[in-house]
Amino acid sequence: MRQMIEAVDLTKDYGSVTAVNRVSFSVAEGELFGLLGPNGSGKTTMIRMLTGQVRPTAGSARVMGLDVADDPIAVRRLVGIIPEQETPPSFLTAEEYLHFVARIRNLDAVEERCDHWFDLLEFGEKRNVLCKDLSRGTRQKLMFAQAFLHRPRLALIDEPLINLDPIVQRTVKDFLEDYVQDGGTVFLSTHILEIAAEICDRIGVIHNGRLLSCGRTEDLAGSGRSLERFFLDLVRGDAGA
Amino acid sequence: MPVPDLFFTMMKEEWRMHSTVFGSRGFALFPVVVATFAFLGSLTLPVFSDVLPHQTAALLALVLFLLMGVMVGSFGLMGREFMNRRFGQASLIAYASRSLPVSERRIFAAFFAKDTVYYILLYVLPFAAGFTAATPFVSLDPALGLLAFVSLTLAFLMGLSAVCLLSTLYARSVRLLIGAAAVLAVSGIAVSHSGIPVFPPYAFLLDPAPRPLVLALLLILVPAAASVLLVTVDYPDRTKRFRNSLDPIAGRLRRLGSAHFIAKDALDLLRSEGGAGKVIFSFLLPLGLIWVCLRILIRFIPGIDPLVVFAVLLGVISATIYNWLTEFDSFSAYAFLPVEVAGVIDAKLKSYALANLLPLAVLVLAAATSAGGAGSFLPALATFLSVSAYTLAVTVYLTGLYPNVMLYHAGVFLRYVLATSPALLLLIFASLLNPAYGFLSLLLVLPAALLIARGRTRWRAWEMPGY
Repeated sequence: MRQMIEAVDLTKDYGSVTAVNRVSFSVAEGELFGLLGPNGSGKTTMIRMLTGQVRPTAGSARVMGLDVADDPIAVRRLVGIIPEQETPPSFLTAEEYLHFVARIRNLDAVEERCDHWFDLLEFGEKRNVLCKDLSRGTRQKLMFAQAFLHRPRLALIDEPLINLDPIVQRTVKDFLEDYVQDGGTVFLSTHILEIAAEICDRIGVIHNGRLLSCGRTEDLAGSGRSLERFFLDLVRGDAGA
Repeated sequence: MPVPDLFFTMMKEEWRMHSTVFGSRGFALFPVVVATFAFLGSLTLPVFSDVLPHQTAALLALVLFLLMGVMVGSFGLMGREFMNRRFGQASLIAYASRSLPVSERRIFAAFFAKDTVYYILLYVLPFAAGFTAATPFVSLDPALGLLAFVSLTLAFLMGLSAVCLLSTLYARSVRLLIGAAAVLAVSGIAVSHSGIPVFPPYAFLLDPAPRPLVLALLLILVPAAASVLLVTVDYPDRTKRFRNSLDPIAGRLRRLGSAHFIAKDALDLLRSEGGAGKVIFSFLLPLGLIWVCLRILIRFIPGIDPLVVFAVLLGVISATIYNWLTEFDSFSAYAFLPVEVAGVIDAKLKSYALANLLPLAVLVLAAATSAGGAGSFLPALATFLSVSAYTLAVTVYLTGLYPNVMLYHAGVFLRYVLATSPALLLLIFASLLNPAYGFLSLLLVLPAALLIARGRTRWRAWEMPGY
């Protein structure tokens, strides 16, 4: 099976702080991979390295066969990304922002693509509202739409369900499961264990920049333990070590 | 929470916000740089005393600090958007009255006090200290330093409190704001005919008597108190809806390339709060003052043509348009898209070139009202274009997409001044001798091109900060 992400000894130092420490893993095509970790464990830095937003201090990563350090723009052209904190530009409307992203990505049938996302995530009535006036949840819907606007084969998404109401959360989870069934691949970073337990095929647990465990969701949470128990035991054990 | 506690917490917050961006030492040195330039500038006062009398120089300094107060205060109008673009979803104490058991009035009073103290320490005190240090060398009484400090503080606070009141009224109702502005304008005209000083800080500097001091304090305390009493965070629902303007604007600019980026810049400028205010306060007003001062200057030195000098200053001030274009943007907004930093900078340069039609129009207007306008228009045009390009190139090289924050870093600001001022002073003096020397400015085009090229490479290597 084709590997969509291959990370080898990936390391990132910020001054004296090692945010990610010699992490190796791979994600195969058609997988929904969840990277779990407490706040500040290195999840966001990992996504930033995999999408060429920051350069690794050591190690390497290949995404869809491309070396991220060699051609980050080509990688970002292929994949869809939802960053953790970024919000859409304040003075564009929701519709203008999607058009803006579509032009950057040289997409055709822009109206049709936008309408699809406005309908799916149920925020068409906000299409003409400035992004600064949108609620956090609607901004998150917009960020979700921009990431999938070009129908990528791989999406790297950082806390995608944050700020979304339960109804839209269900829609997004269903969309992600359908997307993976259709051959798409998702790298999802989250600290919400229920989401990972519900939709992820495989899970990696990161703490203090180190990958503590990686395997199939049912195997990790197996032997009668919940994923939460497994996660807490692993992270607390590492913190005490 | 008592106001003094809020005040000290906000002071800490302001310091940490700035020092996070510039580094503690870089930001701490900023007042030193201000003092150094005030000292050096004051040393030149005798050289220009024939053409720029001390009183006129003092008035210019006071107007400058009045405008500075306006700018610091107007940050309250659009600060939140700015902070969100710079630091993600910024959560400042000033915005937190709904989540803290503290009244809006207390928070606003502490915020006003914090701005007063913080910016006096950052700008006013160092400026006055630099001037005071120079007084023994320019045969002025060092006691003038204290007088200058008080007058500059009054001017700064007048601007700050006036704009705080106006922004408070704006938050309640646009009609209320327009009404208050009209009343203020009529009162100002009436006062100017009554013998009462319109600008009390200046009157106090000329004659440090109780009357102008009390008047200035009234003009500070009354609007400040009114803005604290009337403050509200319940802004009227102004959720506006806009049809898609991005594609039509981009369609018209298609031939320039980067059309959607330029269209986005245009919409940022048109739709952001204070859009017209920015143009008036930080652009047209200073230019008008400069032009008036230059017209006064030619009365003292008959025979000189101020148009090329004006073009030099116009070019420098035009570079601030780049600050507007980057104000609500940051590269993190594009980092997850297939876009390079250099590509965003290129688009900003194109937006800048288009926006420079505004200062170009100002130059044409100035030439039309200038006695020797037609003869010196071509060298003035060459000067304006070259200086604008060069100053922009220095800004881009030193600050990338972050001029609004990076220029507060002492080291960056010093390099900016050193890179621009020698060439510009030389041009000003040469053009006073003969306007045709303005064509020498074309020599700046090559270093401008080199700086832009190096800036693109430099900022391509820039990386999003973490931790």
